[in-house]
Amino acid sequence: MYRYLFAALLVLCMSAPAQAHFQMLYTPEAALTKGGELDLKLVFSHPFDAGHTMNMGKPLQFFMINKGKKTDLMKDLKPIKWQSLTNSGDAYEAEVKVRKMGDYVFCLVPEPYFEPEEGAYIQQITKVIINNSGLPTDWDAAVGLPAEIVPLDKPYALWTGNVFRGVVMGDGKPVPDAEIEVEFLNHPPVPGKNMFQKQALATAPQDAFVTLTIKADANGEFAFGLPKAGWWGFAALGVGPLKTYKDKDNSQDAVIWVKAVDMK
Amino acid sequence: MKRLFVALFVAGLVLAAQPGMAHTPLFSCYDNGDGTVSCEGGFSDGSSAAGVPVHLLDGSGKSVQELKLDQFSEITFKKPAGDYSVQFDAGEGHSIKVPGKDIVE
Repeated sequence: MYRYLFAALLVLCMSAPAQAHFQMLYTPEAALTKGGELDLKLVFSHPFDAGHTMNMGKPLQFFMINKGKKTDLMKDLKPIKWQSLTNSGDAYEAEVKVRKMGDYVFCLVPEPYFEPEEGAYIQQITKVIINNSGLPTDWDAAVGLPAEIVPLDKPYALWTGNVFRGVVMGDGKPVPDAEIEVEFLNHPPVPGKNMFQKQALATAPQDAFVTLTIKADANGEFAFGLPKAGWWGFAALGVGPLKTYKDKDNSQDAVIWVKAVDMK
Repeated sequence: MKRLFVALFVAGLVLAAQPGMAHTPLFSCYDNGDGTVSCEGGFSDGSSAAGVPVHLLDGSGKSVQELKLDQFSEITFKKPAGDYSVQFDAGEGHSIKVPGKDIVE
């Protein structure tokens, strides 16, 4: 009996759609018209199908940069439980007040996550850039993270259909031919709750549309046309220098989130 | 013909001297909650608004005080009693008025 069950589970696992792990650093709006309290959610999940949410350890670093000034936000982190469509996982949230105009570059360096299926660690160093009142200040500057995507287009001022371009950096240098996974936040979080909405915004006709894969060119540059309004995540895989962690392989990825807005 | 070139050259110089018109002025104010208000100015191309005049207007829209943004394009002043507004004045087409009632903590 157990043997059949095990075989059935194995088949189920193998036929599960290809989906990418994505470190989320979510807040509803990327372009604020005035300052206020920002509600940030730090969730390690699969954003296209709001599937399995992994347990996050306490982040190693969490900070923001405005007008070149770095503010540590570790003390603002609060542990939460995040509800996906299939499970619940350990995540974090933070309330951060932003008042001054300009770009706020939020950076998260999570603790590497051990993925038992791969027998290896994943560490997705994640960036999201929020702007207050339209003054551009910091969005195009490299923060200097070990793995980082530096935007070539303002990541908070993109119409649906615009192209988003970026440079993949590893250890401060562009990474030629980097592989980048792109995923749409297809089940946006329910406002005020720590959960994804049940309703999907889009349906993938086939697995290759769940996690889209693109490549950077010889200069580490990539471009992606944003076909739908909402948040899009880009993860450049294994571009950071930390290749092992606790005697196991580690994929140190660079993640950035950008938001497309409908023209109306 | 030569004259035409000179004219074009002069026209080019005149055009080149025009300030960049693609930028828009930006101005944002907030109440510090301690009886003072802070405002910050800038331009959408990221250029500084240091030294730009800021007028405090009374309820009837009359300027009662002129201030200047500091080197960080910011200014802090005592919150006026009663109806007021704050005007960022970077010249024609580059002026923004923020009503006091919209300036909150």
